[in-house]
Amino acid sequence: MTDNSGRPDATGSSDSDADEPLDPAAMYALLQNQQRSAQIQMGDFVWLITFSWGVTWLVGFGALWLIDGVDGFALPVPVAVAVFIATLVASGLLSAWLGFRSGRGMRGNGAAAFTGTVYGITWAVGSTAIAILGGGLRAQGMTADLAAYYYPCAYVLFAGIMYVLAGAIWQAVPSLVGGLWLVVVAVAAAFVPYPNHYLFFSLAGGLGFLALSAVSVIRLRRARAATNGGNRG
Amino acid sequence: MDELDPVIHAQARLRIMAALSTLEADSSISFPRLQELLDMTAGNLSTHLRKLEDASYVDITKTHKGRTPITYLGLSKKGRRAFEDYMDTLRTVLGEQP
Repeated sequence: MTDNSGRPDATGSSDSDADEPLDPAAMYALLQNQQRSAQIQMGDFVWLITFSWGVTWLVGFGALWLIDGVDGFALPVPVAVAVFIATLVASGLLSAWLGFRSGRGMRGNGAAAFTGTVYGITWAVGSTAIAILGGGLRAQGMTADLAAYYYPCAYVLFAGIMYVLAGAIWQAVPSLVGGLWLVVVAVAAAFVPYPNHYLFFSLAGGLGFLALSAVSVIRLRRARAATNGGNRG
Repeated sequence: MDELDPVIHAQARLRIMAALSTLEADSSISFPRLQELLDMTAGNLSTHLRKLEDASYVDITKTHKGRTPITYLGLSKKGRRAFEDYMDTLRTVLGEQP
């Protein structure tokens, strides 16, 4: 066999240690560590996605909160909305690119491709449905004050459920935890007086994602340490 | 007591089988990506993959992406069964219920 560069095998003595079995308990531990390590390394992009969303929430919702001003400082509406949309789009594009890149070197079966496609389309369908539903509610007399609650709460609730689904489909615990947290944030925000609900989204969502990002970094480092710990062939 | 499958019962091959077992059935991974996940040298990985291939535990598909040859690897049905049997035997040896 050759590797992808077409080089012949190096069948020297370097693999002699790796050819020796350990005792059964150590082999079982090696097996479990390797499975865990592979799964975590395949999700090595998760920390960056959660970090970018943490910043987006802090900055984006922070900008919306500043529309009404604090201590004499206020952001003009167009600036605040532009910052909100720009951070949202930047994180969305980064997530899509990292998600696409995570599949490098992998060839899935048809079922996995179908699941991924349906999941991706569901984001678009759900987001569009929330916007159209909002338009309908406005036509039925929903005030601008209420709309300032409806849109963020509905989107955050939907995003939370999608994160939970992703966690269930791809067995990703950080996604599951983050999704459940977003569901709680979306519901709780409806009880926070205007405009502090934006500050609540900013801090609860943003800091929540940054905490998840930190956990993901720690898990990844541990997984890499477990792989490198004397196992190099 | 059952014998532990000697093809799998070596550190490097156990690690390869364990990493491949995390892929879904009929899915495969390229040689460089597997090498990255396992942090093994190309030569060492090739050597152990050949032993697994000789036992028909690993399916190897050679294809091209543009002009670059790519080798994809995945567990065969026989390999997946053998890995599950190995895990069951190991648990039995360790006194756990398989």
